[in-house]
Amino acid sequence: MLTSKELERYDRQIMIGEIGQEGQGKLKRSRVVIAGAGGLGSPIALYLTAAGVGRIRLIDHDQVTLSNLNRQILHWEEDIGRKKVDSAGSKLRNLNSAVEIEAISETLTEGNVFRLVEDCDVIVDALDNLPTRYLLNRCAVEKRIPFFHGAVNGFEGRVMTILPGETACLRCMYRGPVPQEKFPVIGVTPGVIGSIQAAEVIKYVTGIGRLLTNRVLIYDGLTVAFSEFTVHKNSDCDHCGFPLRKE
Amino acid sequence: MAVRVHIHATHRQFTNGMEVVATAGNTVSECLNHLIKQFPGMEKAIFSKKDKLLNIVEVYVNHASAYPNELAHPVKDGDEIHLVLMLAGG
Repeated sequence: MLTSKELERYDRQIMIGEIGQEGQGKLKRSRVVIAGAGGLGSPIALYLTAAGVGRIRLIDHDQVTLSNLNRQILHWEEDIGRKKVDSAGSKLRNLNSAVEIEAISETLTEGNVFRLVEDCDVIVDALDNLPTRYLLNRCAVEKRIPFFHGAVNGFEGRVMTILPGETACLRCMYRGPVPQEKFPVIGVTPGVIGSIQAAEVIKYVTGIGRLLTNRVLIYDGLTVAFSEFTVHKNSDCDHCGFPLRKE
Repeated sequence: MAVRVHIHATHRQFTNGMEVVATAGNTVSECLNHLIKQFPGMEKAIFSKKDKLLNIVEVYVNHASAYPNELAHPVKDGDEIHLVLMLAGG
């Protein structure tokens, strides 16, 4: 049940036929984990907070540095040296005090990942490296929690939505480790990609539209082109394939 | 007719800036070898060793993943191959 204040606050999105009051109620009851409070995590957290999700658990072990500020729009000059989750948490609470923000300053590891995604409906990938993404992908697959992947480099980004047990996962096309390198990026790229991830979460939670499942969307900001590629669930996948699948 | 290979933006330094290169072959492997014959710099950009793609390279044929046996994937005139790179940043 929405209050009169909520009806006013979310009026413009409740006006969207596919969302309506029922969809807004679903957003209000949703519990979202965002792994990463940097370039991607900033727009994802901002738009989901503005949209009125019930609870956001934001996980990041890092502190704000000057070189973050070209893209990590939740962090400002005054935040340099603060924990990213504290910096982000205070902005998000100011944006929408009705959203419960849990700020978790921990490094995601095999030892804590299951605990950190406990009691959540969706997991959003806003990480900055592949090994942790795969860790989170495996956890999402095993716990059957929808997983919303995004990644960026320079002017390029990609998005894919994973419904464990039903659709291709992040690991289904894995060929081996990739060297970890400092990546170039312009702030508008995670702005575009994070916004699409947030839209995917909103669509999933409210049960509307067609999700980016079994397809990867690639954005090229230099030519302003979106390309879509079909991907297949791999029965030999070491995360979601048949031998490890839990029925 | 030919098999058109779409070159990733970061690899166009090896193809004189060309975004798409026409190749000939019956498999992805044959087309990529033809690509490398035209632009030798592409070899190190996509292969770690002979017949082994770099782990970061993804191959799509007609906008569908060619994984897992990308190089053996059959192609015919008019097909499109996209060479895409995995991204890790956030």
